[in-house]
Amino acid sequence: MKINKKNILYLLLGALVLLSIISMFLGPVFISPEYLLKSEILWQIRIPRIILSAMVGIMLGISGVILQGILRNPLADPYILGVSAGAGVGAAVAMGAGLNFVIFGMSAVPVLAFVFAVVSVLIVYKLAQVKGQTSTETLILAGVAVSAFSAAVLALIIIVTGELQSIYFWLLGSFSMASYGDIITLTPYLLAGFIFAFFYSKELNALILGEEMAFTLGVDVEKIRLIMIIMASLMTAAAVSVSGLIGFVGLIIPHFVRLFLGPNHKTLVPVSALGGAILMMGADTIGRTVFSPIEIPIGVVMALIGSPFFLYILRRRYRVKR
Amino acid sequence: MNILEVQNLVCGYGDSPIIRDLSFNVKAGEFLGIVGPNGSGKTTLLRVLSGLLVPTVGEIRLEGGGVKNYTRNELAKMIAFVPQLMEPVEGFSVLEMVLLGRTPYVQRFRFESDEDVQIAKWAIKELQAMEFIDKDVSKLSGGEFQRIAIARALAQEPKIMLLDEPISHLDLRYQVKILKLLKKIRQQRTIIATFHDLNMASRFCQKLMLLKHGEIIAYGYPDEVVTTENIWKAYRVKAQVKKNPRTKRASLVFLP
Repeated sequence: MKINKKNILYLLLGALVLLSIISMFLGPVFISPEYLLKSEILWQIRIPRIILSAMVGIMLGISGVILQGILRNPLADPYILGVSAGAGVGAAVAMGAGLNFVIFGMSAVPVLAFVFAVVSVLIVYKLAQVKGQTSTETLILAGVAVSAFSAAVLALIIIVTGELQSIYFWLLGSFSMASYGDIITLTPYLLAGFIFAFFYSKELNALILGEEMAFTLGVDVEKIRLIMIIMASLMTAAAVSVSGLIGFVGLIIPHFVRLFLGPNHKTLVPVSALGGAILMMGADTIGRTVFSPIEIPIGVVMALIGSPFFLYILRRRYRVKR
Repeated sequence: MNILEVQNLVCGYGDSPIIRDLSFNVKAGEFLGIVGPNGSGKTTLLRVLSGLLVPTVGEIRLEGGGVKNYTRNELAKMIAFVPQLMEPVEGFSVLEMVLLGRTPYVQRFRFESDEDVQIAKWAIKELQAMEFIDKDVSKLSGGEFQRIAIARALAQEPKIMLLDEPISHLDLRYQVKILKLLKKIRQQRTIIATFHDLNMASRFCQKLMLLKHGEIIAYGYPDEVVTTENIWKAYRVKAQVKKNPRTKRASLVFLP
């Protein structure tokens, strides 16, 4: 089966535009089409929310691709590896302590989220390495351990600060507070992450052949790994700071893209970005409409879709192995 | 002209290094076969030459310049390595796989140019693999995939190609085919490959190096290396060596 890769990109772009238009009409308040463009709800609530969900989807999708590439493991995902939870701890610390500094134009929440995300991913990576190889089992176990620890720390922060409602709700993952400010905050992270992932795709491709082959192809494996870990952590941290813990996007999307278009990162990165945007926007639209006016947090929607899917790939992987 | 000069090479850990004090030169355009019993250091030697292992002692010089003075990328343009077992990546087409050989030539913030694609195609043609250029590499047979692995190394346009047991898991037809193709490639570049099959190595290689315990037992033309005495020294196997009247190469018959 050969699918033209350019066409896929246009097709997905079309789907994204169509979905965002449909999504504009949907919500707890029905707005008839003739008033839609003049409505405050559209401009102040729905549009920023649609844009933000797409951006978060892109960032989580690319983070998944990057982590899978450098760890050479298709089950790597910021959520499963505990990177999201780590970022969550950082963000909660900043929120709970009411930190309000700005470094290099970045505010306290994403900065602390980033620091904790990097620490988490490095711990998981080191724990998962057995004789220079990262096996699936150790990778997932290390991710579980780090996530559990982070969850405990988060609970502690919630109890100590007494900010139960706000932090807990944010943890579940939600775009309900989306604002144009969030979009501006995310933009530099998204651009940096995309550009690095896309233009390092030849190194990521070489890494598919294994570390040693990449090395003999002139790739500085350690350097690439470090840059990519930083990029994935940055994007995850930024996404977590605005929308809480949302899992499985980085797992589901790259998996399907690989299945249909192959493992070449030159297509994997942009197509996964678009796919992530579509999935996230779609899932959020579902979450805010099916039980309207009650909203299901996006993190819950994704976990409902994602967990069975994760088990499915895990099973499939072992069946293939045996 | 010597393309490769190795002096007093030692590699391995502690008191029992795997490579012990090797010194040899390889001339440009040679096809050198490295043979020897299991554990003699054949693979380790290739890995040191490819840069994957750093020598404990000694020096490796490429075209007269020390390997240490080259960057990783410059080295990748000079030396290509084909490991013994490469896992075919599901979903990669043959062309995509071979294009990976162009990695050291593609600049940052650029992608493979048309020229890179042309070179990859040329490499696939050299390995007579054009018929499956669009096929998924994971669907190729062992012999077909081995040719793609070599084409990938050739696309690197290296001066030296290192191959670790390129024929050991192939049937006779592919063994001969691969060796013939390598012999053809040798006209433009130096090839160093390890072998288990002494007859095959002796038939196709221009020079042979016989290793045991990380030391050179014999190094030279096949009929100088493949002798009853050397075989006994290296393998403790009794063998009769005859010169094949047609190929003029030494060939072995093992004695009871």
